[in-house]
Amino acid sequence: MNELALIVFTPLLAGVLAWLLDIRGLREAIGVIGAAVPLAYAAMLYERAAEGLSFAINLGVFNITFALSQLNWFFVGIAALVGFSAILGLASTAKDSYEWLFALMSLTGVLGVFLASDLMTFFIFWEVMTFASFMMVLHYNKQASLKYFLLSVAGAYAMLIAIAFIYVKVGSFDFGAVQAALTQDAYAKMLGGQATFSSGELMALFGLFLVAFGVKAGLFPLHVWAPDAYSETNQSYTAMFSGVLSKAGVYGFILMYLLIGTRLAVEFGAFRSAPKFGYIIAFLGGLTIIVGGLLAALQEDIRKLFAYSSISQVGYILVGIGVGTALSMQAAMFHALSHALFKGLFFLIVATILHRTGKTTFADMGGLAEKMPFTFAMAFVAILSLAGIPPLVGFASKWVLFEAVISQNLPILGGMVFFGSAIGFVYLIRFTYAVWFGQRPTDLDDTKDAPLPLAVAMAILAFFNVVLGIAPGLVARELNKIFGSDVIGGDLFILDLGFGKYNALAILTYLIAGIAVAAVIYFLGAKVRKVPVTDTYQSGNPVTMDYNLTIRRNFFLPLKETLSGWLRISFDRTYRDIGAWVEDFGEVMRNYVYNGNVQSYAWYLLLILLILAMWGV
Amino acid sequence: MISVYYFGAIALILIGLYAVLVKKNVLKMLIGLSIMETGVNLLLVSVGYISGRSAPILSEGIGPNGAVDPIPQALVLTAIVIGVATTAMALSVAILIHEKYGTLNVEEIRRLRG
Repeated sequence: MNELALIVFTPLLAGVLAWLLDIRGLREAIGVIGAAVPLAYAAMLYERAAEGLSFAINLGVFNITFALSQLNWFFVGIAALVGFSAILGLASTAKDSYEWLFALMSLTGVLGVFLASDLMTFFIFWEVMTFASFMMVLHYNKQASLKYFLLSVAGAYAMLIAIAFIYVKVGSFDFGAVQAALTQDAYAKMLGGQATFSSGELMALFGLFLVAFGVKAGLFPLHVWAPDAYSETNQSYTAMFSGVLSKAGVYGFILMYLLIGTRLAVEFGAFRSAPKFGYIIAFLGGLTIIVGGLLAALQEDIRKLFAYSSISQVGYILVGIGVGTALSMQAAMFHALSHALFKGLFFLIVATILHRTGKTTFADMGGLAEKMPFTFAMAFVAILSLAGIPPLVGFASKWVLFEAVISQNLPILGGMVFFGSAIGFVYLIRFTYAVWFGQRPTDLDDTKDAPLPLAVAMAILAFFNVVLGIAPGLVARELNKIFGSDVIGGDLFILDLGFGKYNALAILTYLIAGIAVAAVIYFLGAKVRKVPVTDTYQSGNPVTMDYNLTIRRNFFLPLKETLSGWLRISFDRTYRDIGAWVEDFGEVMRNYVYNGNVQSYAWYLLLILLILAMWGV
Repeated sequence: MISVYYFGAIALILIGLYAVLVKKNVLKMLIGLSIMETGVNLLLVSVGYISGRSAPILSEGIGPNGAVDPIPQALVLTAIVIGVATTAMALSVAILIHEKYGTLNVEEIRRLRG
């Protein structure tokens, strides 16, 4: 059987098997094997990605076609790696076989999305992915799942309309055919000829795709489902949900560039150095960074904090895609990889904490570093990676992204991404201190370290965080292959953009030297003394409980108060208001139009007959 | 010049429609429906009339060319039966309404709304 079909369908098969057998131990084994197969095949296809592979199933009405290229190999690699780790984590945290079925089904969905080579296949697997993740959220929280479902459905319809629209004009679903047709159209427009797509149609197409992919990627203001859906499901699964499924939206935007990007750029021109339509994506991405980051800082729940932080980080990727140069595209894909790695790791850590303590709020945490040293080490890697501290992969990707934005002279976007990094420190310092250090509540005294599957899963992701951080050239080489040219130069340890250089190995050396010096000073001179917590926070003054701003409780309350005017503008509330209006409108219609009076209905009938008669039907 | 048959039939339909739209009593509305139905049947029959011909029964001296259009008549036969059936059913519903709500005024029986 074809490798691509195996990659896509094995997880689904394993999920169904695990669900049917439902024997503890056996279902875990089947599930993990089902997730390992795509990873193994993705690794095996590494060499052959360049020559391209394809696979088609004829369903009579249309074909389901898959193809492998450098671009989608990269994304399949991310999905297979992080998906495998998440499934491994699920072995410790899954409650029943239901979760195995839908977790593996969503892996199939996302792999199918990345491998699809026509719009119809893309859409079908997109829906499989959405459905399975919806079922995962439904298992834990109905309210959150409904919100996710509603926005996803809006996105799905937008995509379906756009696909139908393209099909009507071009006559094919195939990516190659669509791309060729629209590029030709772009040239026709450039030379002043007759174009197939008018300006208004293109704008509609762009809007539809923006909604479709924006929902999945968590683009502001369509992000409102994400904090609830990410936090209200199995946290091991969230590692895949936030790490991989959000990348489907990112991949969608890249696909949009490939398919209709040239035509859009020709039609709407450029703003500064970015194409105008791309600038819209980038600007919304920038807003996503800021909104997600600020809200992450204000959360009291670990799961919610990382959910918002995930939204914020995907914003970076969208900025990179929006700027639209080869370098910024590479930066976006690089960050997509590192986001999947560190966010997957973070959610596995949250899963471990939740699994071992059963608690999720900062107020109940503290001093866990002593009790869970391994998880703490993993958390340390993840924190450094997300905050962008060299030599981890988060730094390399953010650095390339910053350089890409700055080099295009886009000051507003630059400000937004820098602000995002600053706010990243703000919320991470809270996670670092409140969970791992400080006084430990007595009920956490017998907390054990991570169970084996979760520990292995975390170790895999942490390993890649470190290795790809020290040798960012590995990623850069893959990205250069996608573009067919050396956009990012340098070797294994050095990234060279032409106007800037980053040497990961040198920085690592300096860092180790610095730590060695600090260690020497510490062992020579410093003395440890115990300080009661109350001494450090309160300057000797008694503090009342209602304004008790410790790191575990309301730490950023002053920030919240400063922002209170802005926080009143909530898109979550806006959507709820719109929902209420629709309900009110329905009520009005019910009272005045559908009023239960037979005679009114007779009048409606007569009026409609009259209107039809006047139309000449 | 509009034929007197057409005029009469359409006038009956409009009278029936008026009763259905304006009268408040269910029974009066049903009478309106019946009148409307009669009007429709008349209209159908008059559509098939061809001046100077006789009934469409093939017999001595009357060939296919000597008869009026038989199709509307078949149609009207069906329509009459349907009309009687619906009227009967509507009347039984009216009886039930009166038993349940104690009134036949349509404005007062809004509780019927699903």
